[in-house]
Amino acid sequence: MQPLGIDFHTHPVLVREMIARHPDLARTARETFYIGNNFQPLETFHLELDAAGLEQAVVLPIDATTALGATIYTNRQISELCSMSPRLIGFASVDPHQPDAAETLADAIANLGLRGLKLSPATQRFFADDTSVYPVYETARRLGIPILFHAGMSWEPGSRLQYGQPLRFENVAADFPDLQIVLAHLAWPWVTEAVALALKYPNVHLDTAALYFDNPQDFLRYSMTEALPLTVFERSLRRQILFGSNYPRVEIKNMARALRSLGFSDECLTLIFRGNARRLLEARRPGLLENEPPERKVLEGV
Amino acid sequence: MIVKLERLEVQSHKDMEMIDITPDVDRVVSESGLQDGMVMAMTAHTSAGVLVTEGIECLERDVLAHLERLAPKDPPQGTYGYWHNRYLDYDGRLGFNAGDHLKSILGGVNCMFPVENGKVVRGSRQRIYFVEYDGPLARTVFIQVFGEGR
Repeated sequence: MQPLGIDFHTHPVLVREMIARHPDLARTARETFYIGNNFQPLETFHLELDAAGLEQAVVLPIDATTALGATIYTNRQISELCSMSPRLIGFASVDPHQPDAAETLADAIANLGLRGLKLSPATQRFFADDTSVYPVYETARRLGIPILFHAGMSWEPGSRLQYGQPLRFENVAADFPDLQIVLAHLAWPWVTEAVALALKYPNVHLDTAALYFDNPQDFLRYSMTEALPLTVFERSLRRQILFGSNYPRVEIKNMARALRSLGFSDECLTLIFRGNARRLLEARRPGLLENEPPERKVLEGV
Repeated sequence: MIVKLERLEVQSHKDMEMIDITPDVDRVVSESGLQDGMVMAMTAHTSAGVLVTEGIECLERDVLAHLERLAPKDPPQGTYGYWHNRYLDYDGRLGFNAGDHLKSILGGVNCMFPVENGKVVRGSRQRIYFVEYDGPLARTVFIQVFGEGR
C-alpha cells in the first residue's frame, strides 16, 4: 500500500462554489475549456481524491488572454479556490505574449501562494522554445518552481498539434538545466520523443494525464508497457514520472486505478504518486514570504 | 388535482453506492398535500439508477456486485469491448463508462408507488434506493407526486 499521493494535473473548471462567485467561469468551462460535464460542489473534488486514494491535487489555470481573449481561471481565482481547501495546490499561469509575463508570475508566486506555473502552448498559441518567453522561464528558475507544459496532442478546436511536439521543449530543457519541467499527457502521440528528452535531460519530467482512445487502463498499458517497455519508466525514469489525471476530463479514480494496474513496483508507485511531486513542489526557494514584494526578491536572485 | 415536482440532490461518496432515499420520497409526499395518488422517483442520469429492494447492507452489496458482473467496468478485451470507449466531442472527453450506463439500464432508472391517505404505500421490506454506478458525484433525482389533494 503506497502512502497517499498527489494528482499533479487537474482543472477545477466544474467547481460550483467558484461559479457562484464568478458566473463567467461557467461559460469559460463550456466555451473555452470545452467540458460538458455537470458542475459539482467542491466536496465532489475531495471525494474523487478519496476514491483514488490521494490526498491533494494541483489545480491549473490557463491564461490565454492574447490567443483566445479568455482565462480559464485567473491566478487570483486559483488562489481563492485554494483558500477553500487545504487539499488543493494552486499553480499560476501567465500569458506568454504579454511583456510583463515574468513580473506577473513573480507576483503570483509571492503574493497569491501559488506553487508552480502552467503553460499550454496549444491553447496559448506559442512555441515553448520561443526565446521571447525565456524571461518567464528564468523567473521560474529563480523562484525554484516547476513549469507544467501541456505537451502532445490537444483536442482543442482551432489549435495545432505542432505546438505540443516534444522537441519544441528541448532548448528550454537545455538552456535552463536548473528549471524543472513537466511535459503533460506523456506528450502523446510522441511518447518516445518525450521519453528521449527525459532520458537525456534530468530536469524533464512526464505526467501520466494521458487518454486519447479506449480507456485509462488500456491506454496506459499500451503507452507505458507495449509501445515502450515498462522498464524504461521503472528503471530509468522513476524519479521523472508524476501521476496526473487531467480531471475532470478523466476521473482521478480511473486514472489512478489504471496506473496501479500496470505492474510498477510499490517503490516506483510511491515516487510517481507522491515523492516526485513533493520534490518539485518543495523546491521553491526559501525566503519567499507571502506578501513580500516580488520585484526585490527576483532582483536579488532569491 | 396536485402535480408537484421536486429535484432532490444526492451526493454519492463512492464509485458505486446504494443510497436509501425512502425518507426523502416520504417527505416530498408529506409536504405536497397529496391525499391519494402516485409518487414517482427517477434519476436524471444515465450512469445511475433508482431501484427498489430490501433495505439491508448485505443485499446492497449483492446488487452492486451482480450488476458489476453483468456489466463490468473493465470487460474482457475483444468481443465484449465497449464501443463507447471513444472521444465524445460534445463532452470534451472520452466516454469509457459503458459498463456504468449498462448497469443503469439493467437496474432501472425509476420507480412508482401508490399514495393513500397522504402516505406512501410500500411493502414492509421495500426501500427506495438511488444507485450510483460512477461516483462520487452530486446527482439529481426527480420526485413527482400527482393525484388528489387533501
